[in-house]
Amino acid sequence: MTEPVAGVPPARPAFAHASEAELARILDFYDVRWTYEPDTFPIGWSLDGDVVESFAPDFYLPDLDLYVELTTLKQKLVRKKNRKLRRLRELYPDIRIKLFYARDFRMLLLKFGRMALVDELTGTTGQATPPRPVDVSAEPEPGLVLTELDLPDLESDLVVAGPAVTPRGRRRGRRRRRGAGDAAPVAVEALAAEAPDPPDA
Amino acid sequence: MTRTADLQGDIGDVLLTEEDIAAKVADLGRQIAADYAGRNLTLVSVLKGSLPFMADLMRQIPLPLRIDLMEVSSYGGTATESSGLVRIMKDLSASIADEDVLLVEDIIDTGLTLNYLVRYLRGKNPASLRICTLLDKPARRLVDIPVDYVGFEIPDQFVVGYGLDYGERYRNLRFVGVLRPEVYTPAD
Repeated sequence: MTEPVAGVPPARPAFAHASEAELARILDFYDVRWTYEPDTFPIGWSLDGDVVESFAPDFYLPDLDLYVELTTLKQKLVRKKNRKLRRLRELYPDIRIKLFYARDFRMLLLKFGRMALVDELTGTTGQATPPRPVDVSAEPEPGLVLTELDLPDLESDLVVAGPAVTPRGRRRGRRRRRGAGDAAPVAVEALAAEAPDPPDA
Repeated sequence: MTRTADLQGDIGDVLLTEEDIAAKVADLGRQIAADYAGRNLTLVSVLKGSLPFMADLMRQIPLPLRIDLMEVSSYGGTATESSGLVRIMKDLSASIADEDVLLVEDIIDTGLTLNYLVRYLRGKNPASLRICTLLDKPARRLVDIPVDYVGFEIPDQFVVGYGLDYGERYRNLRFVGVLRPEVYTPAD
């Protein structure tokens, strides 16, 4: 949440997905402070040491020291996000992060009696902005190896770019206990091995 | 068209029977009575879901306690496109300053309401503030708050009964059951 100015309503960030805006309203309602995508954590490096993959959790709740990532895609489509989350936890073990799956979000709306909103807020229909077009035929940037994992994520939070990327004005990982300089470079390909996704339970 | 609730038929599985609940409430009452002997205990219950639990629990605590009730608005009840704020619909009827307060909840899942209430009650300067919940759904926790007395830890299912509602129905069930998904899932 941005710092309040007397007489001026706080500006709302441009949420990438309607479900994020709804979660922000819920947090506001219960007086839980939040910031939207404040930090970007590098999670993949090229062999040259350049950051080629990052993860920017949707929310940070400063009073709870908790990051929240919201994904309302169907369970079978969230494999990429699960992998990124596992990688984040490996590299930044002290970070507390909660992943809200589609089912979690449905249950949250159910709890609040807002099931009618589910279809509007989940999946691709809930996206406030269309996915960023990615020209996969274009020449990759130096140091970037495009793999299947680099295809556009429907929720557009995969940072496919060069070193220490802070897209949309994000600042770099506030808690980079292991940054590009002190973690062994990991090529994107090495992250391809997938553990089974958790059941939709 | 509004669907008519079927009090028994809408329940898939019975998660906790009336007997399960009664035994656990008696057990919680014994623990609380032992912990609060000789102290100025006030039970604060949060309407409406905690009502049956509060009524049963206080009768299992043989101490000269006080009770009080609060009600807070829930998100679904008032939320619109513009963000609202949680409101105290019914405040405490007496001061809890220097009282040992036990907040009695029916269920804790996200912890959002509890987090708000704890901060609110702490502002009233009680001598101590603890939390007792009949049901705990830790899988859905967003705000971690230490809970001192937990009746049952339950799986991540939508439960009703014994005070818990869906659309203000099912509170009067004597057990806790899992609501059939078709009850809250719109038909195609």
